[in-house]
Amino acid sequence: MSGGYIAQQIVNGLILGSMYALVAIGFSMIYGIIRLINFAHGEIIMIGAFLTLGLLQKLQLPFPVAAPLVLIAGAVVGIIIEKGAFRPMRGAPQVTGFIASLGVSIMLQNLGILLLTAQPRNFTFPDYLQSVVQIGLVSFRTIDGVIMASALVLMGGLLFLVHKTRLGMAMRATAENIDVARLMGININRTIMATFAIGSALAAIAGLMWGGKFGQIDPLLGFVPGLKSFVAAVIGGVGSIPGAILGGYILGLSEVLFVGLLPPIYSAFRDAFVFSTLILILLVLPNGILGKKMEDRA
Amino acid sequence: MKAKWQIVMLSAVLAVILSAPVMGADTIKLGGLYNLTGGMSSIDAPALNGAKLQAKLINEAGGVLGKNLEVIGIDTKTDQKAAATGAKKALAMGVVAGLGYGDTTFVMAAAPLFQKKGVPFVTSGATHPMLPKWVGDYMFMVPFGDDDQSFAIAEYTVNKLGAKKVAVWTDNSMDFTKALSKFYKQRITELGGTIVLEDFFMMGDKDFSAQIARLKNADPAPEAVFVSAIPNEAGLTVKQIREAGLTLPIVSGDGFDTELVTTVPGDKLANDVYFSTHTYREDNRPEVLAFVKAYEKEYNRPPENAFAALGFDAVGLIADAIKRANSTDGKALRDALAATKGFKAVTGEISYTRPSGVPMKGVSIISVKNGKYKVEEVWYPKN
Repeated sequence: MSGGYIAQQIVNGLILGSMYALVAIGFSMIYGIIRLINFAHGEIIMIGAFLTLGLLQKLQLPFPVAAPLVLIAGAVVGIIIEKGAFRPMRGAPQVTGFIASLGVSIMLQNLGILLLTAQPRNFTFPDYLQSVVQIGLVSFRTIDGVIMASALVLMGGLLFLVHKTRLGMAMRATAENIDVARLMGININRTIMATFAIGSALAAIAGLMWGGKFGQIDPLLGFVPGLKSFVAAVIGGVGSIPGAILGGYILGLSEVLFVGLLPPIYSAFRDAFVFSTLILILLVLPNGILGKKMEDRA
Repeated sequence: MKAKWQIVMLSAVLAVILSAPVMGADTIKLGGLYNLTGGMSSIDAPALNGAKLQAKLINEAGGVLGKNLEVIGIDTKTDQKAAATGAKKALAMGVVAGLGYGDTTFVMAAAPLFQKKGVPFVTSGATHPMLPKWVGDYMFMVPFGDDDQSFAIAEYTVNKLGAKKVAVWTDNSMDFTKALSKFYKQRITELGGTIVLEDFFMMGDKDFSAQIARLKNADPAPEAVFVSAIPNEAGLTVKQIREAGLTLPIVSGDGFDTELVTTVPGDKLANDVYFSTHTYREDNRPEVLAFVKAYEKEYNRPPENAFAALGFDAVGLIADAIKRANSTDGKALRDALAATKGFKAVTGEISYTRPSGVPMKGVSIISVKNGKYKVEEVWYPKN
């Protein structure tokens, strides 16, 4: 096992981890603010992927124009889901929201099958994003570089927003204590809506990356990465944004290294490994790596 | 208000239930069990389209025994439990035969229920050579067996591609992919080749970067890689292997007979791929040309893959047997099916002469070069 081999596997893991991290952030933000485990979050990846396909291939828009549009459309979808499905049950027991999110998830999947058929579709990015970059012993494609770089930029922007702006302050206050925040004159509805919008926009961009990286999309593609991002959020500590980012990278890396470093016969069991890790983390670190201790944990 | 809606719903349901037998009075019903949604849909949906097209053509030509054929499509959602439920549903509707599936796992969930009731089941695309032995004497196969298709591509790998050191990737979640790898490895070893690396994945995996890095670093370097996969992973694996800069030939079986092999990687990367499949693609026998023309007319697109032709053949095979039996009785139909000899199907001639019950059919070796498909040769089993 050479150094180049291990370096290549680490890069592979970081690319995968970037996508998990972007989705996990939304999971964590939404949980942090209204204690909702939103299983419909994974479907936003699917919606983002199909939107990208439509914009790039049907409307023939150039990539730099399509990407911000996907970001905005993702935010709009997030707002619609929040207004339609979750606002009416605010204040209901946690489990109600959880069940509702499963319902939204299944509904979106089936809507996708109805409108787009279950047949997988191919997805092509422009050639300049497909070329191979070789740095030392490690090779990756331009799109992989774009994935890693834009994930870092988006995450940096998000941390800035949360810690340095009024909206971010409102979000942190709402996450701390929703009732007191309301008493302080914070517009709770607007803050929650903004959280859904930001989280969903990031997931939609993850969908764009997903389609570009793998080149094949179908209406059920969001389910498994959605679950894995949930695992990533739990590993990092649900409710913590840096935790979600860390969790995403840890999960992506450990998934690839699990396949890459163990004998090949175990390769098929990577998903089993991911979910066993979830159980293990919950046993050893119930609050995740960076999570705060909370009495009312789901 | 609520009660009113319930009455409307109830009468709607009753209308459907009551009118069904009236509509079906002078039709011969066939149960088409297919996974129209989920991972198998790109194989199964075209197969059902092919089956329905054949029934339509037969009906336009006067039907069978003076009656119309009706293929009742049932979606079993790539779920084995749904497959068993679907089989019960079809049998309860009084079908004279069942047909369906491009994969062994789902046939094994549905076909035994047909066997128990004494109703023949014809699989259009499942290729495990043990199927007729496992299910029983009411089980029939339209396609060749996995042993034949694996032997064909293994011989091509060693004799024509000159690759003696091969790597084998197997989807560990399906009977079909595991059987394909087993027979492939067997023939490679018999021909003096060696398996230098074996790796695994699971249906639904999207990221193969870890396996590819291992393939790249394998010592001795493999001269070809056999990817035992279903269509869902076919395009994904080709794309990612080529993107990693590996140029060794990629070989596979009929799971690669999907347009995803060229559309997902794009024409430039879909290069040096070889797979064994049903004799149909790029073939110009009159049966094939007529089928392609009818399919294009009916669905406004060329057939997606060989499974469309296999579904078409399954209904043709059953209709042929009903005619010869001059009856739709289960036992008579079974005997007529078993006596099939030289039935000219789109995917090659079908005769049930082997003791295994697997038809002796030719296997096409297709190459993909820069996104273009070409028939390299047709392989025939020796016995």
